[in-house]
Amino acid sequence: MIQFEHVVKKYGDATVLDDISFTIEPGQFAVLIGPSGCGKTTTLKTINRLIEPDDGTVRIDGDDISEVNRVQLRRRIGYVIQQIGLFPNMTVAQNITVVPKLLKYSKEDCDKIVHDMLEMVDMPYDQYAHKYPSEMSGGQQQRIGVLRALAASPPIVLMDEPFGALDPMTRSALQDEILHLQKKLKKTIVFVTHDMEEALNLADVIIFMENGKITQMAPPEEMLKNPANESVKNFLGKHIAVDDPSTLTAADFLRTNVVTVDSKKSLRTCTAQMMRSNVDSLIVTDENDKYIGTVSVEDIKSVSGDDLRVADVLKNDRETFRVDDDAKRCFDKLLSTKDNYVIVLKHDDTVAGIITKTSIAKALAERLWG
Amino acid sequence: MEYLTKMIDLYGESLLRNIGIHLLYVFASVSIGFVLGLTLGILLYRSEKYAKIILPVLSVFNTIPGIVFIGILFLYLGMKPATVIIALSIYAMFPVLKNTFVGLTNVERRYIEAARGCGMNNRQILFRVELPLAIPTIIGGLRMATIYTVSWSVLAAMIGLGGLGEFIYQGININRNDIILLGAIPAAVLAIALGLLIDVLQRKVTPRGIRKELNRR
Ligand SMILES: Nc1ncnc2c1ncn2[C@@H]1O[C@H](COP(=O)(O)OP(=O)(O)OP(=O)(O)O)[C@@H](O)[C@H]1O
Ligand SMILES: [Mg+2]
Repeated sequence: MIQFEHVVKKYGDATVLDDISFTIEPGQFAVLIGPSGCGKTTTLKTINRLIEPDDGTVRIDGDDISEVNRVQLRRRIGYVIQQIGLFPNMTVAQNITVVPKLLKYSKEDCDKIVHDMLEMVDMPYDQYAHKYPSEMSGGQQQRIGVLRALAASPPIVLMDEPFGALDPMTRSALQDEILHLQKKLKKTIVFVTHDMEEALNLADVIIFMENGKITQMAPPEEMLKNPANESVKNFLGKHIAVDDPSTLTAADFLRTNVVTVDSKKSLRTCTAQMMRSNVDSLIVTDENDKYIGTVSVEDIKSVSGDDLRVADVLKNDRETFRVDDDAKRCFDKLLSTKDNYVIVLKHDDTVAGIITKTSIAKALAERLWG
Repeated sequence: MEYLTKMIDLYGESLLRNIGIHLLYVFASVSIGFVLGLTLGILLYRSEKYAKIILPVLSVFNTIPGIVFIGILFLYLGMKPATVIIALSIYAMFPVLKNTFVGLTNVERRYIEAARGCGMNNRQILFRVELPLAIPTIIGGLRMATIYTVSWSVLAAMIGLGGLGEFIYQGININRNDIILLGAIPAAVLAIALGLLIDVLQRKVTPRGIRKELNRR
């Protein structure tokens, strides 16, 4: 268990950690997230005393860590630094066994650890144990960085953007690996990232920081459902909608560039308008731009007379929706009628736009893949 | 041909002896200078505030011509090989000290941070991380020290203590260029040969993992 009690850290006039308090339970996967410079790394380093707070107390399993020998403390806490930091003068095997050697493990135990660790991430011992960091890819180096932190089986592991500089594929593979390891080894992990996707994938609990303060600490689902403020919402961004479809409204799927026609226009003008816009029906509005109905090619064909106006043929038998209606109702309607669009109105009855199958697909794609 | 055999007859033996003496001076003073430079370099690296004062002072000191320094030491210590060795050791120390300091200072923060995060104490960080990473630079200092010392050792002859300088001074005195060359050429060859030897040493002691990085640079 890691407890922060009113922790304050200042550099000169700048308060980097501003009265931080939180508790991470044993075996929890906690993810620290927030904009650059908000104090994530500082918080992390306070846990292994690479940084000493100016005020407040940090406790591990109840013990005030400022009273523990810091070198001993660090050997019991795995640490993956922000820029990997494998020692370039040491082989993979030597890097992995740095902490076990400091703890004076026997040579056999060290060898066994290297074998076990490499096996865990599917890197064959014969192929990798005696390579140097400079002889490996970025993804491989980050794996070894994580293994080095795990080697002496510390109950707590701190990871500072361990997958920072990786391509999305490698990144998500490593996320799966770390989740798997966490489940298997039951560690308490404090993980820093500024990628919300990563946080949502990994976290049991997300700690959102801003300007040295904790804005919100909550499990991913809770944070998605009730983001504490605008900046949490911004960070969640596209994920909110996808992960909680009940909050989606008609407005999220609108196509707004729709062709309308004034009800007083002649049918001739109306037909010309349809041809120009390449559509077979138009939305009809009154002189105040309020919605009054629709007119289709069939409606026009079925009558004759040169002096007829749009108002004479328009139909007003369609169900319309409001912008804040549940998007699902619009979908159901769209799927259950032969009409290829549904009409969405603003609260003053002017036309907000239409929803088509294409606009739904587009909006979904945007939310899913940005 | 005849000239060559005559020269060898006349000077062969003293050439060999003087090369030996010369090498002895170089070896003794570079060894002492290296140990001093390495130790001081580490100490200065560890205490930044002293480094800020001491390093500039040392570099001023470094610009005093060797001949002046040997002269002064000679007045105090007399005409002994120790005089030469002390003077040369101090000069050999400078490049080693400077490179040790620079090499350690240039070790990237992240490695030190990682080492500290792993629970190494300062001594362990120094021996397991900082020094191994600074080795190429330190050996570079050793190389410089060695090559300089080969030429500075010529000054030993100035106070009559032998070495290859003996030929050079003698040649100047009796105005014979071939005798000057008899000292100068072996000194140059010695400098180059020792330089190459140290390059080999550098390759041997540089950890394999950072050797590649060096080559890439
Ligand atoms: N040694 C220091 N001296 C002065 N200011 C510092 C120092 N270390 C960090 N800071 C400041 O403290 C703030 C928090 O830094 P920290 O490294 O914790 O941010 P972070 O959230 O990890 O950011 P990033 O996402 O960019 O890694 C920053 O504004 C930074 O400029
Ligand atoms: Mg950071």
